[in-house]
Amino acid sequence: MKLPRWRQRKEEELEAEIQSHLDMAARERMERGETAEQARAAVRREFGNVGLVKEVTREMWGWASLERLLQELRFGLRMLRKNPGFSLVAILTLALGIGANTAIFSIVNALLLKELPYAQPERMGTIYARTTGSESSDRRRNIDGEQWELLRDNVPSLISAVSGMRTSGVNLRAGSHVQYLQAGRVSAHYFDVLALHPIIGRNFSEDEDRPHGPRTAILSYALWRTAFGGNPNVLEQTVLLKGEPYTIIGVLAENATTPLNADVYTALQPSREGEGQATNFAAITRLRDGAIWAQANAEINRAWSRSLRAQRYAKSNPGGQVTYYSVSLQKGLTDTLRPQVLALMLVAGFILLIACANLAGLTLVRMLRRRGEIVTRLALGASNWQIQRQLWIENLLLALVGGAAGIGVGFVALRGLLLLLPEHFLPVATVSLDARVLGFTLSLSLLTSVLFGMLPALATRKVDLRSSIPSRGVIGAGSVRLRQGLIAGEVALTVVLLAAAGLLIRTLIHLETMPPGFNPTGVITAKASLDDARYHDPAAFRKLLNESLATMREIPGVQNAAVGLTVPYERALLAGVTISDGKEAGQKIMTNEVYVTPGYFDSLQIPVLAGRAFTDADSPDAQYVIVNQTFARKFFHGANPVGRYLNENILTKNMLIVGVVGDTVISSAARLNAGTAPLTSEETIYLPAAQVVDAKFLSTVHTWFQPSWVVRTAGPVEGLTGQMQRALASADPNLPFSGFYYMKDLMAATLATQRIQVALLTAMSSLALLLSAVGIFALVANMVVQRTREIGIRIALGSTSRKAMIHIGRSGVGASALGLVLGLILCAGTLRAMRSVLYGVGVYDALTIFVVVLMLSGVTLLATIVPTLRVARIDPAKTLREE
Amino acid sequence: MKRHYENRIELLQGTLDLLILQTLQWGARHGYGISQAIRINSGEVLQVDAGSLYPALHRLERKKWIKSEWTVSDNKQQVKAYRLTAAGKKQLAAERSNWEKLSAAMAGILHPAEKESEA
Repeated sequence: MKLPRWRQRKEEELEAEIQSHLDMAARERMERGETAEQARAAVRREFGNVGLVKEVTREMWGWASLERLLQELRFGLRMLRKNPGFSLVAILTLALGIGANTAIFSIVNALLLKELPYAQPERMGTIYARTTGSESSDRRRNIDGEQWELLRDNVPSLISAVSGMRTSGVNLRAGSHVQYLQAGRVSAHYFDVLALHPIIGRNFSEDEDRPHGPRTAILSYALWRTAFGGNPNVLEQTVLLKGEPYTIIGVLAENATTPLNADVYTALQPSREGEGQATNFAAITRLRDGAIWAQANAEINRAWSRSLRAQRYAKSNPGGQVTYYSVSLQKGLTDTLRPQVLALMLVAGFILLIACANLAGLTLVRMLRRRGEIVTRLALGASNWQIQRQLWIENLLLALVGGAAGIGVGFVALRGLLLLLPEHFLPVATVSLDARVLGFTLSLSLLTSVLFGMLPALATRKVDLRSSIPSRGVIGAGSVRLRQGLIAGEVALTVVLLAAAGLLIRTLIHLETMPPGFNPTGVITAKASLDDARYHDPAAFRKLLNESLATMREIPGVQNAAVGLTVPYERALLAGVTISDGKEAGQKIMTNEVYVTPGYFDSLQIPVLAGRAFTDADSPDAQYVIVNQTFARKFFHGANPVGRYLNENILTKNMLIVGVVGDTVISSAARLNAGTAPLTSEETIYLPAAQVVDAKFLSTVHTWFQPSWVVRTAGPVEGLTGQMQRALASADPNLPFSGFYYMKDLMAATLATQRIQVALLTAMSSLALLLSAVGIFALVANMVVQRTREIGIRIALGSTSRKAMIHIGRSGVGASALGLVLGLILCAGTLRAMRSVLYGVGVYDALTIFVVVLMLSGVTLLATIVPTLRVARIDPAKTLREE
Repeated sequence: MKRHYENRIELLQGTLDLLILQTLQWGARHGYGISQAIRINSGEVLQVDAGSLYPALHRLERKKWIKSEWTVSDNKQQVKAYRLTAAGKKQLAAERSNWEKLSAAMAGILHPAEKESEA
């Protein structure tokens, strides 16, 4: 071993010091008349063991403990190398357990722990409301135009801003370049609240944010680079956005992100009219210097107490009270994901516990096998403390190597997980393995070493010098029972995870196999953005639909084509209607609303149950409406509504119900009814597209929705999408389709959350099952090895090897059965927490439980039988001779 | 050799420190010198073996009660000499007073009658 320089000097000094001692002592003796030889020998004798003196002196230097640690580490590494099977299983187990935790924690970190990438994020907020009374709730609130004006003008403690609820697809035309991209509409001071300053240009002014103010746009850095080549002279250039000229006034910095994450931003120009009549604005706030949140909250409540919305609420909820309060923007943005992410973290914790239980069992066996070595070391003078120290160092080594491998596994798992998530699913730009995640992984490794090392360390403390040397390391019944207990524990956790995954799978199957209410086979849809000034004119809108559909119907193989504002599986527009006649007259109803062209029901094959569908013969002046079955059932109590009248509150039109169509499955993301499954059949009304002659209505709904062209073909059509694009171009050469979708794509997008839940929980519970199987396998395999002699005797005395196999295998099966029972009891207590994410399946689902029991039994039998096969190869004569 | 050992008294833990500090009170000395001084001053009763002396010296040095430097001895030999530091002097005073208390207490226990008669 090479010593460091400073250490070597110290060593030489000690050598010289001792040499001078010996020399002086020898000289004195020689002065007294002894010969040089006699003197040196006597001095040596008197001095004692020079090496030992040096050794004990060195210990006083302080770094002796460090050297001993190095030595113990080297010994530990040697022990791990000597036992590659054990080390490999242990490190793999740890890598999987720690890796799963690392991946999940990096998401927890990115969502809940990391500060938002803005200056002073703790001073940024969003507004929640707590209501009491008949409908109590506590959640983030969006606001209407009046509330926005009051917030802006009467809450001096805050810099406030609003944005549209989400980005919308728009067409950008710069010269001959046409591009479909995501536009975010934000108020003045939006970027001030975020503390973002454009790298060139400026933010929106208050003047630009007034209704009908100048049209200006701010580019994201990425769009500036790709569409404008990073041209610094881009300011004051004019581009066609949404069919109208906009002046570019700024470019955001490269790393600037916003809660909207749009490609281009335009001024929201909010007012009390149009979309400002309902709560369509998302507010963000920043506390001004010197102000405090309590003061801001008081100002908000005072300002909004006078609003129309407050008055309406008071009227419809007598005795109810609304309290508004600020919540940190971070919490506001991650609120819906938080419980899911924390549940995942809990599941990952279960996996780690299972891994630790396995390792505790494995290390226990290893320690007991090493009893010979330990006893020898005790006999050679090692202290109990030194032995324990060595064992803990080996555990620590294992945990650290496993942790390092876990970081690798976690990195790969995280990549996979992020690939699984749809774009913009997480409200953060990046999820990375940063210092905090690595710190977490390190602490986790240390924790695991303590968890799995504790049992074996306790067991070896009882090693007794006298009784142990003669024994052959037979493992007592106590330690087997201990290991069985560990396995029962991990099986119990596995059962809970399997059952939870099973329930989610059943939910997903239920949702995916819901009768859609139409025929999705052979249907392709394409979206185009009509958030375009040219199509605010109802005549131009009608012309576009008619011409493009006529051309599409001529494509060979196309059976029918239609346009709808939305299609099944999607979120629909919410609208208010009032029943105008009959005994339900005056009843106000919130409902899904879809404008459609006459071929819509035909193209999707939605059955007409009463009355008729729309026809091309219906004139734009006619006021017709079709309702779906749920609408008829809910609001007309099953009576035939054909011939009755509805008043649409925004279009203020009295419309005749001409037909009833079957329900289709749509997304519940618009939250019309609380607590419904993500896919649901809800009340829906259909208006003829031709009848929508309100320019303001058209411009508003098209900022929120991009209508879909629906095409039904008899079979596969070569180059269909290209022909559809050309058909659209024949009506408007500057209108690109933003994308083509099969109905199954739309369903997948709506069920993305459920699919992710299923994928994650299935992966985690499979991991748990695998680890449990490894645990059972290891237990039984050890038993076979340790009891070889006993089995040999049994067989020699007339037992069959089959009986011996059953005798040995019982230990694994028994532990697993106990775990299964414990797990089922746990399920009864814990699965109730899943109620809010289950649809179409109860918490206590017999089929799920049955499959879990079946799977666990199968895996247990496999993990037990494979190692017991070795019993058959035991030769009694040989094992007995060995003794 | 054997008789030599019979006269020796095993040193109490911590006593060696006091002896070393006391010995260095009269000036710097090297390790061999210290062991000789203790032997002679105790009338050959206390013999400090090297296996205790050197660890003690290095420990005291680490506590900064003594300081070492290489000097040349009377017979022109390079030796490592230790001397008391200011902190060492304080420590010596403290340990001396502890020792005196202890020995007074021991005397009180071992000769209770004498003490009474004195009173």
